[in-house]
Amino acid sequence: MSGDPTGEVRSEFEQRARALLLQSSEELSGAVRSRLTQARHAALAARRSRLPAFSFRWVSTGAAAAAVLALLIVYVPYGHSPLENPVAGGGLEDIELLTDNDAVPLNGDQDVDYDFYEWAATEAAGATASAVGS
Amino acid sequence: MAAFASLGSQTAALIPPGKAHLRETTQDAARSLETFLASVERKAFRIAQIALRHEADALDVVQDAMMQLSSRYATRPAEEWKPLFYRILENRVRDVQRRRSVRNRVMSYLPWRTEDEEAAIDPIEQAVDKAPLPPEQLESDEAMAALEQAIAGLPARQRQAFLLRNFEGLDVAETAASMKCSQGSVKTHYFRAVQALRSKLGDFRT
Repeated sequence: MSGDPTGEVRSEFEQRARALLLQSSEELSGAVRSRLTQARHAALAARRSRLPAFSFRWVSTGAAAAAVLALLIVYVPYGHSPLENPVAGGGLEDIELLTDNDAVPLNGDQDVDYDFYEWAATEAAGATASAVGS
Repeated sequence: MAAFASLGSQTAALIPPGKAHLRETTQDAARSLETFLASVERKAFRIAQIALRHEADALDVVQDAMMQLSSRYATRPAEEWKPLFYRILENRVRDVQRRRSVRNRVMSYLPWRTEDEEAAIDPIEQAVDKAPLPPEQLESDEAMAALEQAIAGLPARQRQAFLLRNFEGLDVAETAASMKCSQGSVKTHYFRAVQALRSKLGDFRT
Protein backbone atom coordinates (compact mmCIF):
# COMPACT_ATOMS: atom_id res chain seq x y z
CA MET A 1 0.00 0.00 0.00
CA SER A 2 1.12 3.55 -0.72
CA GLY A 3 -0.28 6.98 -1.48
CA ASP A 4 -0.96 8.66 -4.79
CA PRO A 5 -1.40 12.29 -5.92
CA THR A 6 -5.10 12.27 -5.02
CA GLY A 7 -4.23 11.54 -1.39
CA GLU A 8 -5.84 8.11 -1.43
CA VAL A 9 -4.00 5.11 -0.08
CA ARG A 10 -4.06 2.49 -2.83
CA SER A 11 -2.70 -0.99 -3.24
CA GLU A 12 -0.04 -1.72 -5.86
CA PHE A 13 -2.68 -3.33 -8.00
CA GLU A 14 -4.82 -0.20 -7.95
CA GLN A 15 -1.84 2.02 -8.68
CA ARG A 16 -0.82 -0.09 -11.66
CA ALA A 17 -4.35 -0.05 -13.01
CA ARG A 18 -4.49 3.71 -12.59
CA ALA A 19 -1.14 4.21 -14.30
CA LEU A 20 -2.24 2.10 -17.26
CA LEU A 21 -5.53 3.94 -17.62
CA LEU A 22 -3.86 7.34 -17.39
CA GLN A 23 -1.26 6.28 -19.94
CA SER A 24 -3.97 5.12 -22.32
CA SER A 25 -5.80 8.44 -22.01
CA GLU A 26 -2.60 10.33 -22.78
CA GLU A 27 -1.87 8.21 -25.85
CA LEU A 28 -5.09 8.81 -27.72
CA SER A 29 -4.76 9.08 -31.46
CA GLY A 30 -4.68 12.47 -33.14
CA ALA A 31 -8.06 11.78 -34.78
CA VAL A 32 -9.71 11.14 -31.42
CA ARG A 33 -8.10 14.18 -29.82
CA SER A 34 -9.28 16.29 -32.72
CA ARG A 35 -12.84 14.94 -32.41
CA LEU A 36 -12.83 15.68 -28.68
CA THR A 37 -11.69 19.25 -29.31
CA GLN A 38 -14.44 19.67 -31.90
CA ALA A 39 -16.98 18.26 -29.45
CA ARG A 40 -15.86 20.72 -26.79
CA HIS A 41 -16.11 23.66 -29.16
CA ALA A 42 -19.53 22.49 -30.33
CA ALA A 43 -20.74 22.28 -26.73
CA LEU A 44 -19.52 25.79 -25.97
CA ALA A 45 -21.03 27.12 -29.20
CA ALA A 46 -24.35 25.45 -28.36
CA ARG A 47 -24.39 27.23 -25.03
CA ARG A 48 -23.61 30.53 -26.72
CA SER A 49 -26.42 30.13 -29.24
CA ARG A 50 -28.87 29.07 -26.55
CA LEU A 51 -28.32 32.10 -24.36
CA PRO A 52 -30.40 34.72 -26.27
CA ALA A 53 -32.89 32.20 -27.63
CA PHE A 54 -33.48 30.84 -24.16
CA SER A 55 -34.23 34.20 -22.57
CA PHE A 56 -36.39 35.39 -25.48
CA ARG A 57 -38.41 32.21 -25.43
CA TRP A 58 -39.18 32.53 -21.75
CA VAL A 59 -40.02 36.22 -22.00
CA SER A 60 -42.43 35.63 -24.89
CA THR A 61 -43.98 32.60 -23.19
CA GLY A 62 -44.45 34.57 -19.99
CA ALA A 63 -46.04 37.49 -21.84
CA ALA A 64 -48.47 35.21 -23.66
CA ALA A 65 -49.43 33.46 -20.44
CA ALA A 66 -50.00 36.79 -18.69
CA ALA A 67 -52.22 38.01 -21.55
CA VAL A 68 -54.35 34.85 -21.46
CA LEU A 69 -54.65 35.10 -17.69
CA ALA A 70 -55.74 38.75 -17.92
CA LEU A 71 -58.40 37.88 -20.50
CA LEU A 72 -59.71 35.10 -18.31
CA ILE A 73 -59.91 37.37 -15.27
CA VAL A 74 -61.70 40.16 -17.19
CA TYR A 75 -64.16 38.15 -19.21
CA VAL A 76 -64.95 35.03 -17.23
CA PRO A 77 -66.84 35.51 -13.92
CA TYR A 78 -66.03 33.09 -11.15
CA GLY A 79 -67.65 29.72 -11.58
CA HIS A 80 -69.63 30.58 -14.73
CA SER A 81 -68.92 30.71 -18.39
CA PRO A 82 -70.54 33.55 -20.42
CA LEU A 83 -73.26 31.19 -21.69
CA GLU A 84 -74.29 30.29 -18.15
CA ASN A 85 -74.45 33.87 -16.90
CA PRO A 86 -78.14 34.64 -16.16
CA VAL A 87 -77.60 38.41 -16.43
CA ALA A 88 -75.93 38.15 -19.82
CA GLY A 89 -78.51 35.63 -21.04
CA GLY A 90 -81.53 37.84 -20.11
CA GLY A 91 -80.59 40.82 -22.28
CA LEU A 92 -83.51 40.49 -24.69
CA GLU A 93 -86.09 40.27 -21.90
CA ASP A 94 -84.76 43.46 -20.31
CA ILE A 95 -85.05 45.35 -23.58
CA GLU A 96 -88.65 44.18 -23.97
CA LEU A 97 -89.56 45.34 -20.48
CA LEU A 98 -88.02 48.76 -21.03
CA THR A 99 -89.65 49.37 -24.38
CA ASP A 100 -93.13 48.06 -23.49
CA ASN A 101 -95.58 50.99 -22.99
CA ASP A 102 -97.80 48.88 -20.76
CA ALA A 103 -95.05 47.76 -18.49
CA VAL A 104 -94.63 48.88 -14.92
CA PRO A 105 -92.34 51.93 -14.89
CA LEU A 106 -88.87 50.85 -13.84
CA ASN A 107 -87.12 54.17 -13.99
CA GLY A 108 -87.95 55.53 -10.53
CA ASP A 109 -90.63 58.24 -9.98
CA GLN A 110 -89.98 60.37 -13.07
CA ASP A 111 -93.24 59.32 -14.73
CA VAL A 112 -95.46 59.45 -11.61
CA ASP A 113 -98.47 61.71 -12.17
CA TYR A 114 -98.55 63.60 -8.86
CA ASP A 115 -101.41 65.86 -10.02
CA PHE A 116 -103.62 62.84 -10.45
CA TYR A 117 -102.88 61.56 -6.98
CA GLU A 118 -103.51 65.02 -5.44
CA TRP A 119 -106.86 65.33 -7.27
CA ALA A 120 -107.83 61.78 -6.23
CA ALA A 121 -106.97 62.56 -2.62
CA THR A 122 -108.98 65.82 -2.70
CA GLU A 123 -111.92 64.06 -4.25
CA ALA A 124 -111.80 61.34 -1.68
CA ALA A 125 -111.60 63.88 1.15
CA GLY A 126 -114.59 65.87 -0.30
CA ALA A 127 -116.66 62.75 -0.70
CA THR A 128 -115.99 61.76 2.89
CA ALA A 129 -116.95 65.26 4.16
CA SER A 130 -120.23 65.32 2.21
CA ALA A 131 -121.11 61.89 3.44
CA VAL A 132 -120.55 62.95 7.06
CA GLY A 133 -122.56 66.19 6.54
CA SER A 134 -125.54 64.36 5.07
CA MET B 1 -8.62 28.12 -25.78
CA ALA B 2 -9.48 29.20 -29.30
CA ALA B 3 -13.14 28.45 -28.71
CA PHE B 4 -13.09 30.67 -25.66
CA ALA B 5 -11.97 33.66 -27.70
CA SER B 6 -14.95 33.43 -30.03
CA LEU B 7 -17.34 32.40 -27.26
CA GLY B 8 -16.27 35.20 -25.00
CA SER B 9 -16.47 37.90 -27.64
CA GLN B 10 -19.82 36.80 -29.06
CA THR B 11 -21.50 36.16 -25.73
CA ALA B 12 -20.12 39.39 -24.36
CA ALA B 13 -21.59 41.22 -27.35
CA LEU B 14 -25.06 40.45 -25.95
CA ILE B 15 -24.35 42.47 -22.85
CA PRO B 16 -24.99 46.26 -22.87
CA PRO B 17 -21.89 48.47 -23.04
CA GLY B 18 -22.45 49.93 -19.57
CA LYS B 19 -22.27 46.50 -17.90
CA ALA B 20 -18.56 45.79 -18.21
CA HIS B 21 -18.48 43.74 -15.00
CA LEU B 22 -21.14 41.39 -16.43
CA ARG B 23 -19.12 40.96 -19.60
CA GLU B 24 -16.05 39.99 -17.57
CA THR B 25 -18.10 37.53 -15.49
CA THR B 26 -19.48 35.92 -18.64
CA GLN B 27 -16.01 35.57 -20.11
CA ASP B 28 -14.71 34.07 -16.87
CA ALA B 29 -17.56 31.54 -16.83
CA ALA B 30 -16.91 30.57 -20.44
CA ARG B 31 -13.21 30.20 -19.75
CA SER B 32 -13.86 28.07 -16.67
CA LEU B 33 -16.23 25.81 -18.58
CA GLU B 34 -13.80 25.34 -21.42
CA THR B 35 -10.97 24.57 -19.01
CA PHE B 36 -13.14 22.05 -17.21
CA LEU B 37 -14.24 20.30 -20.40
CA ALA B 38 -10.65 20.15 -21.64
CA SER B 39 -9.56 18.63 -18.34
CA VAL B 40 -12.09 15.79 -18.40
CA GLU B 41 -12.56 15.00 -22.08
CA ARG B 42 -9.82 12.38 -22.49
CA LYS B 43 -10.68 10.45 -19.36
CA ALA B 44 -14.37 10.71 -20.18
CA PHE B 45 -13.68 9.29 -23.61
CA ARG B 46 -11.73 6.35 -22.19
CA ILE B 47 -14.45 5.67 -19.60
CA ALA B 48 -17.10 5.64 -22.33
CA GLN B 49 -14.91 3.58 -24.65
CA ILE B 50 -14.27 0.92 -22.01
CA ALA B 51 -17.99 0.68 -21.27
CA LEU B 52 -19.13 0.65 -24.91
CA ARG B 53 -16.12 -0.98 -26.62
CA HIS B 54 -16.73 1.30 -29.58
CA GLU B 55 -14.78 4.43 -30.45
CA ALA B 56 -17.42 6.32 -32.46
CA ASP B 57 -20.15 5.62 -29.90
CA ALA B 58 -17.82 6.76 -27.12
CA LEU B 59 -17.09 10.03 -28.94
CA ASP B 60 -20.81 10.65 -29.47
CA VAL B 61 -21.55 9.98 -25.83
CA VAL B 62 -18.83 12.38 -24.66
CA GLN B 63 -20.08 15.08 -27.01
CA ASP B 64 -23.67 14.62 -25.78
CA ALA B 65 -22.52 14.89 -22.17
CA MET B 66 -20.53 18.04 -22.94
CA MET B 67 -23.54 19.57 -24.72
CA GLN B 68 -25.85 18.73 -21.86
CA LEU B 69 -23.54 20.12 -19.21
CA SER B 70 -22.79 23.23 -21.21
CA SER B 71 -26.39 24.06 -22.09
CA ARG B 72 -28.15 23.06 -18.89
CA TYR B 73 -25.77 23.06 -15.96
CA ALA B 74 -23.13 25.65 -16.80
CA THR B 75 -24.72 28.07 -14.34
CA ARG B 76 -24.20 25.65 -11.45
CA PRO B 77 -21.16 26.15 -9.20
CA ALA B 78 -17.99 24.86 -10.86
CA GLU B 79 -17.32 22.34 -8.10
CA GLU B 80 -20.55 20.53 -9.05
CA TRP B 81 -19.58 20.14 -12.70
CA LYS B 82 -17.48 17.01 -12.40
CA PRO B 83 -20.03 14.78 -10.61
CA LEU B 84 -22.77 16.16 -12.88
CA PHE B 85 -20.76 15.56 -16.02
CA TYR B 86 -19.99 11.97 -15.12
CA ARG B 87 -23.59 11.32 -14.16
CA ILE B 88 -24.71 12.59 -17.56
CA LEU B 89 -22.00 10.53 -19.24
CA GLU B 90 -23.09 7.34 -17.50
CA ASN B 91 -26.71 7.99 -18.44
CA ARG B 92 -25.73 8.38 -22.07
CA VAL B 93 -23.65 5.19 -21.91
CA ARG B 94 -26.68 3.34 -20.58
CA ASP B 95 -28.88 4.80 -23.33
CA VAL B 96 -26.50 3.48 -25.97
CA GLN B 97 -26.28 0.07 -24.31
CA ARG B 98 -30.08 -0.13 -24.08
CA ARG B 99 -30.49 0.89 -27.72
CA ARG B 100 -27.96 -1.71 -28.76
CA SER B 101 -29.67 -4.44 -26.82
CA VAL B 102 -33.07 -3.60 -28.38
CA ARG B 103 -31.53 -3.43 -31.85
CA ASN B 104 -29.75 -6.74 -31.40
CA ARG B 105 -32.98 -8.36 -30.22
CA VAL B 106 -34.88 -7.05 -33.25
CA MET B 107 -32.11 -7.93 -35.68
CA SER B 108 -31.89 -11.48 -34.36
CA TYR B 109 -35.42 -12.10 -35.72
CA LEU B 110 -34.57 -11.02 -39.24
CA PRO B 111 -34.13 -14.10 -41.45
CA TRP B 112 -31.77 -12.57 -44.00
CA ARG B 113 -29.29 -11.40 -41.39
CA THR B 114 -26.46 -13.92 -41.45
CA GLU B 115 -23.79 -12.11 -39.46
CA ASP B 116 -23.45 -9.23 -37.09
CA GLU B 117 -23.02 -6.17 -39.27
CA GLU B 118 -21.59 -4.23 -36.38
CA ALA B 119 -18.75 -6.69 -36.16
CA ALA B 120 -17.98 -6.52 -39.86
CA ILE B 121 -14.24 -6.50 -40.39
CA ASP B 122 -12.73 -3.28 -41.60
CA PRO B 123 -9.77 -4.26 -43.86
CA ILE B 124 -7.97 -0.98 -43.15
CA GLU B 125 -8.20 -1.45 -39.40
CA GLN B 126 -7.10 -5.05 -39.74
CA ALA B 127 -4.05 -4.23 -41.87
CA VAL B 128 -0.86 -5.37 -40.16
CA ASP B 129 1.51 -2.64 -39.10
CA LYS B 130 4.94 -3.77 -40.25
CA ALA B 131 6.85 -1.61 -37.76
CA PRO B 132 7.62 -3.72 -34.70
CA LEU B 133 6.51 -2.35 -31.35
CA PRO B 134 9.10 -1.95 -28.59
CA PRO B 135 8.79 -4.78 -26.04
CA GLU B 136 7.74 -2.42 -23.24
CA GLN B 137 5.03 -0.91 -25.43
CA LEU B 138 3.82 -4.35 -26.37
CA GLU B 139 3.64 -5.46 -22.75
CA SER B 140 1.89 -2.27 -21.79
CA ASP B 141 -0.62 -2.64 -24.60
CA GLU B 142 -1.32 -6.22 -23.65
CA ALA B 143 -1.75 -5.28 -19.99
CA MET B 144 -4.06 -2.43 -20.95
CA ALA B 145 -6.11 -4.68 -23.21
CA ALA B 146 -6.47 -7.24 -20.42
CA LEU B 147 -7.40 -4.57 -17.89
CA GLU B 148 -9.88 -2.96 -20.27
CA GLN B 149 -11.55 -6.27 -20.97
CA ALA B 150 -11.74 -7.09 -17.27
CA ILE B 151 -13.23 -3.69 -16.42
CA ALA B 152 -15.76 -3.98 -19.24
CA GLY B 153 -16.84 -7.32 -17.77
CA LEU B 154 -17.69 -5.82 -14.39
CA PRO B 155 -21.29 -5.04 -13.42
CA ALA B 156 -22.17 -1.46 -14.41
CA ARG B 157 -22.12 0.01 -10.90
CA GLN B 158 -18.78 -1.60 -10.03
CA ARG B 159 -17.28 -0.44 -13.32
CA GLN B 160 -18.53 3.07 -12.68
CA ALA B 161 -17.24 3.17 -9.11
CA PHE B 162 -13.85 1.79 -10.12
CA LEU B 163 -13.31 4.18 -13.04
CA LEU B 164 -14.52 7.27 -11.20
CA ARG B 165 -12.54 6.56 -8.05
CA ASN B 166 -9.41 5.02 -9.46
CA PHE B 167 -9.04 6.57 -12.90
CA GLU B 168 -10.78 9.95 -12.65
CA GLY B 169 -9.72 10.38 -9.04
CA LEU B 170 -13.07 11.52 -7.64
CA ASP B 171 -13.37 11.25 -3.87
CA VAL B 172 -16.06 9.11 -2.25
CA ALA B 173 -18.51 12.01 -1.87
CA GLU B 174 -18.13 13.13 -5.49
CA THR B 175 -18.46 9.57 -6.73
CA ALA B 176 -21.61 9.10 -4.64
CA ALA B 177 -23.07 12.31 -6.09
CA SER B 178 -22.21 11.15 -9.57
CA MET B 179 -23.66 7.66 -9.06
CA LYS B 180 -26.67 8.95 -7.11
CA CYS B 181 -26.07 6.56 -4.26
CA SER B 182 -24.72 6.63 -0.71
CA GLN B 183 -21.02 6.86 0.10
CA GLY B 184 -21.26 3.43 1.70
CA SER B 185 -22.52 1.97 -1.58
CA VAL B 186 -19.62 3.58 -3.44
CA LYS B 187 -17.13 1.94 -1.07
CA THR B 188 -18.84 -1.42 -1.45
CA HIS B 189 -18.96 -1.22 -5.27
CA TYR B 190 -15.35 -0.11 -5.44
CA PHE B 191 -14.12 -2.83 -3.09
CA ARG B 192 -15.96 -5.52 -5.04
CA ALA B 193 -14.64 -4.16 -8.34
CA VAL B 194 -11.05 -4.31 -7.11
CA GLN B 195 -11.57 -7.84 -5.80
CA ALA B 196 -13.11 -8.98 -9.09
CA LEU B 197 -10.35 -7.41 -11.18
CA ARG B 198 -7.65 -8.86 -9.00
CA SER B 199 -9.13 -12.32 -9.28
CA LYS B 200 -9.33 -12.00 -13.08
CA LEU B 201 -5.97 -10.41 -13.72
CA GLY B 202 -3.88 -11.69 -10.86
CA ASP B 203 -0.83 -9.61 -10.05
CA PHE B 204 -0.53 -8.17 -13.54
CA ARG B 205 2.53 -6.13 -14.49
CA THR B 206 2.75 -3.08 -16.70
